[in-house]
This record gives sequence, structure tokens and C-alpha cells, in this order.
Amino acid sequence: MSSRRSLAVRMSVGLLLAMLLVLVGGFPGNLGADPPQPEKPKGGQCVRPAEWMRHNHMDFLKHNRTVAVREGKRVRSESLQKCAECHTSRERFCDRCHDYVAVEPDCFDCHIYPK
Amino acid sequence: MLSEFSAIKGSSPGYWKLVALCALLFLVGVGSFFAIESYGHGITGMNNQVVWGMPHVFAISLLVMASGALNLGSMSTVFASIQFKQFTRFSAFLSIVLLIGGLTVLLLDLGRPDRMLLPMLYMNFRSMFTWNVFLYSGFFVLCLLYLWSMFDYKQFTKVVGSAAFAWRVILTTGTGSIFGVIHARDVFFSAITGPMFVAVSLTSGTALSTILLVGTYRKTGRYMEEKLVFGLRNALIFFTLLVGYMFVVEKFTKFYSPAFYEVETWLLVGPWAWLYWLGVWGCCVIFPLVILFHGRLGNTVQGVVAASVVTVVGVFAFVAHVLLAGQSYPFDMFPGYQLSSVFLDGASAHYVPSLVELGMGIGGIGLSALLFLLGIRFFRMLPAKAVAPEGWELPWSP
Amino acid sequence: MTMDRRSVLGLGGVLAAGVILAPGLRLIAAPEDVTEASDKRRWGMLIDTTQCNPACTACTQACRTENNVPLTGDPERDIHWIRKVELHSKDGGKPDRSLPVLCNHCEHPPCVHVCPTQASFIRKDGIVLVDMHRCIGCRYCMIACPYKARSLVYSTPSIPGTPNRKVPMRAKGVVEKCTFCVHRIDDGGQPACVEACQKEAKGGMLFGDLNDPQSEISQRLRQVLSTTIRPDLGLKPRVHYQGI
Repeated sequence: MSSRRSLAVRMSVGLLLAMLLVLVGGFPGNLGADPPQPEKPKGGQCVRPAEWMRHNHMDFLKHNRTVAVREGKRVRSESLQKCAECHTSRERFCDRCHDYVAVEPDCFDCHIYPK
Repeated sequence: MLSEFSAIKGSSPGYWKLVALCALLFLVGVGSFFAIESYGHGITGMNNQVVWGMPHVFAISLLVMASGALNLGSMSTVFASIQFKQFTRFSAFLSIVLLIGGLTVLLLDLGRPDRMLLPMLYMNFRSMFTWNVFLYSGFFVLCLLYLWSMFDYKQFTKVVGSAAFAWRVILTTGTGSIFGVIHARDVFFSAITGPMFVAVSLTSGTALSTILLVGTYRKTGRYMEEKLVFGLRNALIFFTLLVGYMFVVEKFTKFYSPAFYEVETWLLVGPWAWLYWLGVWGCCVIFPLVILFHGRLGNTVQGVVAASVVTVVGVFAFVAHVLLAGQSYPFDMFPGYQLSSVFLDGASAHYVPSLVELGMGIGGIGLSALLFLLGIRFFRMLPAKAVAPEGWELPWSP
Repeated sequence: MTMDRRSVLGLGGVLAAGVILAPGLRLIAAPEDVTEASDKRRWGMLIDTTQCNPACTACTQACRTENNVPLTGDPERDIHWIRKVELHSKDGGKPDRSLPVLCNHCEHPPCVHVCPTQASFIRKDGIVLVDMHRCIGCRYCMIACPYKARSLVYSTPSIPGTPNRKVPMRAKGVVEKCTFCVHRIDDGGQPACVEACQKEAKGGMLFGDLNDPQSEISQRLRQVLSTTIRPDLGLKPRVHYQGI
């Protein structure tokens, strides 16, 4: 019995050490760096207020996508194709922030951002 | 009468070597998974004709055996075969580990394993897959409750064990019906496909239990009365005859209709005929029966174990035949015409499994084996001494 | 989603008018900014196999260009939304035929029945689609479809030099198939294969609304003898064949 307990203790300690290592290794090195500025859009008014978009663009795009694909309702002025008319570069607009906050939306695995 | 349950000691180098081997197999599976995940299914042997390959053969075979592993438990709890009462814990536990191994392979072979939880969010109750999601998770829970009741709440064992038995019949019918309900596929569209899977689960589960029991008792130096193995042999004979009966009925019905002459002839002499005759008929029915009915071999533990090994090979062959032959047979889209196209219409599909596929399947086996080895070490799954209960006599021997 | 949509409608309509006139297209009215699939329509196709030439691949070529479907050179894993099938009469009693096979957009599609996530679904206007955002790549639909209409994406495909940016590309691990060029239909157009057949070949493909008794396809279906692939399965396919 005692040998079994000691094994459990050793395993727990090992696990804790491993977790600590991962925690230290994953610590963001760029903490404190200023957040990147996405490129200013070309056109005038976005389809939604900019502040609202900042917080809700992901839900907005997802909702539009579901409505378009599954219900067949297309709102052309709000399609992903339209975004590119003002936000001309995906790299300088979308990716900059996404990279900084480490989110990886897979939209552009399939969708080609219009140029 | 029955001896105490006790965990195996598991301190010998042999035990840890076995654990390491299983862990290694599991790691091979994990490696194969990451390879497929990063390069795509293009590195497997699967193609647009045969879309389910080796991972599915291994996964479904493990799932069929998971249901079958409950045999010993059910025979004792539901059908009052007292000689198997001492193996009920082992039986329920084996079901659980096989289920985990099989489901892991099945889920990790998805084209998008990152989305594996989506079926929970958007359920399509017309899909046999959705049914199977419920059937497998329900079976998992029932087996756990069954096991728990045997440890701590014996008053519930009967009711939970009976529920688990009913569930496993439905479960394996559901597994078979993944294929049986598909009208497009002449090879496996049949009402008897589900019951055939149930029958094969009965043989393969019993066979695997026999192998593991004999192996475990031998390797741990514990005593197991031979009579018990022969009791298992008799059950295996009965189940194997049932499987043969199902196979005959299926072929008889199909061959009665001229509409099936072409596909059935293709099955018997076509590119997958070797698997049908050697694997399905040979390993599932004929070879085990020859050994088990043999006056000398059938009365030795080695003979029974050998027949069991053949039967376990048989379940893989059976599932492989249903899947691979079923998908390889070309669609007869325009009756009366011979078809050809760049998409290989009208031709039997070509399929050679790749190593990563086998790696993934073997990984599933490794995972199940690993969990089994650790389970019998840390929990009191098996009686310290397996003896037939007093007054129980073997009813028949070859 | 409580935001006001109307405020942008006017602007969007004007913009939409500008992008739709691709060269060579029959002049069609620019679509409204907002269009919705109608459950009153049932899109279908009639293929006159007597007009189909074995050497012609106009429909399949057009499909590949329109929908960015690459050929990988691996015939067993190539993606085919539409393919040409050669029919050779077994007893010589019937003339040989060559015809395109594509998704039949069945009324009772087995792919939709078996899909565990409802990624395969029937749109209101009867088009059977795969929601790529939801497909988990289980391939059960490929087991269930009797037309081999579906392909799994086996590896990350190369993007063609000049892709059609209106149609998404693909990621490996999902299943895809013919969409009846749903993006064109929503803009009031025809599937690319049908258009190519009419322009570059003898025009053996006809596309239209089966629910409208006055449509050309409905009228033709009343006049000519036609069949579907495997009518015995009861799936009620909407791609009809004439001349076999």
C-alpha cells in the first residue's frame, strides 16, 4: 500500500512541475507592448457603427453567414465581399488584431478575401 | 463459495513491459492522428470511392466487441448462469474500455475532429449517427452504473444489469443499422445487417473475454478452474452457430431474388471474395467450430483460446468485409449499361490501407488494452481464485 | 441583431448593380440588395442525352472554373461536382450515351437524412447544400448517396491562379458537392454548366423551376419521355434525363 501511495505522490509532483513549466513557457513575452492599430478603412460609414462592430463583428459575420447559407437570404451590402471595399487588406486590418490577441478565425481557409 | 475479489499485483517487470507496450501502441495511434490531421486524409488509403477505411474497421470492431464483452455479465445477471457471476465486474469493465478505444478512433478519424462536438449542438434525429451518439453514451453510463452497483450497491445490480443488456442489443443493432438502412448500397442494405452485428458481437465478446481471462489468470499465477473455460466454450459454440445461421439466411434471401444475382456473385467470386470466404465464413464460423467441436482440441484450454483468437480476428474480417466490399461495389446507376468515367464509375473501387490508418486503429487497441491493464491493477475486478460454484457441472462437452 | 438594416439598403443596391455585369453574360437585371430563397420554387434540370457529345467537357470545365474545383491529378481523390459518364449498352440493344452526372438535389435526399449535424440540408427552394461551416467530415453522406455526387477534400488544395472570388475555396476534411451554383441562382442566373452547355455545346442542359407549370423545363418534361437515375430508390431526384 505504501509503495502505491508514494507512486501517486511522485506522479502528482511530476504533474505539478510539468504544469508549472508549461505556464512559464507560455507566458506572453510581449506583455506591455502597445496593441496594434488596424488600418484605417477607406470609405465613409460602416454598415454598423464602428464601436459596435469592434465588439460584435464576429457574431455579426456568423449570423449573416448562417442566414445566407442556410436560409438563402443574402444581404449583398453586408456580405464579406463588401467588407473589402473599405478594409482593403486582410493582413493589415483583420490579421493584425487577431494575431495580437491570438485568435485564429478560419474564415479565410476557404473564403478568398477580395482584392 | 466464491473467492474474494482482488486487484492484480502488477509489480512484475513483465506487467510494466506490457503497460509500456500498450502505451507505445497508443502513442503510435496519437502520432498517426496528428499526421492525418496535418496532411489530410490524402495520406491514408481512403479515397472518394472507399471513404471509410481501416480506422473504421478497427473502431467498429472494438465497439462490437464492447457490446459483446458484456456477455459474461448478462449471462450471470440476466440469465442466472451462476458460474459467470465472478466475472461480471470484469465484463462491465471490459465493455467500458473497449468502448473508449473504439469511440476514440472513430472520433479522431473525422475530417474535422475539432468539430466533433457539433453533433451534440445540432442534432438530426433522422441520422443513425445521432442515434448512436445516444446509444453509446447511454451504454457507457449504464456500464459504469452496473460496475458501481456491483461494488457498492448490490441491490441495484439486477435492474441495472438487465437495462445494460437490453441497451447493448439495441446499441449493436444501431451500429449495424448504420449500414443496414442505406438503400443505395446493395451489399449491406438489409434488415438483417443489424441483427448480424448483434450475433457477431456475441461471439467476439465471449471470445475476447475468454482470451483475457485465461491470459490474466495464467500470467498472474492465479488459479482458474478449467471447467469455467469450457463453460465459455459452450457459449461460444452456441453463439457461433447463431452467426452461421444469420449468414445463411442473409445469403439465401439475397440469392432468391434475381435482382441481387450480380452483386451477390460479385461478393462470392469478386475482388473481396478472399475476405468473405476466409474472414467472414472461415474466421467467424467454420474454423472456430472445427476447433471447438474437435474431440481433443475442444477439450483443452489452448484449443478454446485458439478458437477465440480466430473468432476475434473474425469480427475484424466481418466488419472489414461489410465496409470495404460494401463501398467497393460500383453503383448501377443506369441498368443495362456499362459505365465508365473519370470518377471511376462502373468499376470496383481500389483500396489499399496505408500505415497511418493501421497506426490509428492499433492506437485504439492500445488505448483499450492500456486502460484494461491499469484497471485490473488498481481496482478489484477479478476474483483471486476462479472456481466453478458448487453443484455446477458442465452440461456438455464435445 | 437589433440594428437597423434599412439604412444601408439604398447604398447596397446601387453597389450591387455595379458588380453583377460580368462580360459575356446575358444581360440580367441587377439583383436587389436583399434576396431570399423562395419555398415556392423547386429548381430542377433536364438533360437531353441525345445532344451530349462524348468528347465535350464544356459543363465540367465551366463548373471547375466557376466553383474553383481543382484537379489534383489523383483520380481516386479528385473532387468532382459534375462528371461525364460514358454509357455502353451491355447487350448492344441501345445506343451508347455520354452524359453528365451531378448532385440530383433529391426531394428525399439520403445525405441529408444521415448527416449527424444537419450540415447537409435542403434549402427552402429545394437545393441540397452542404454547410461547410458545420461539416465534421464523417463521410456518412458519401456512403448514403447513390449518385456518388460527393467528394471529400483529401488534402489542402492549391488555389488556382485566378480564382472566382465569389465562391469560397475549400479546407481539407469536409465533404462538398454541386450547389446548382446557388450564388448564381440567387443573382437570377443559371448554373455555370447549363450556361456553358448552351453557349459552347448543343444546349442539352435545361435548368428551371419545376413548380412553375409555365417554365420551359416544366413544359418540356410534359412533352418528352424522361427518367431519373435510380427512380426505384424513391428519392425523387430533380435532375431528369431524356434519351436513355
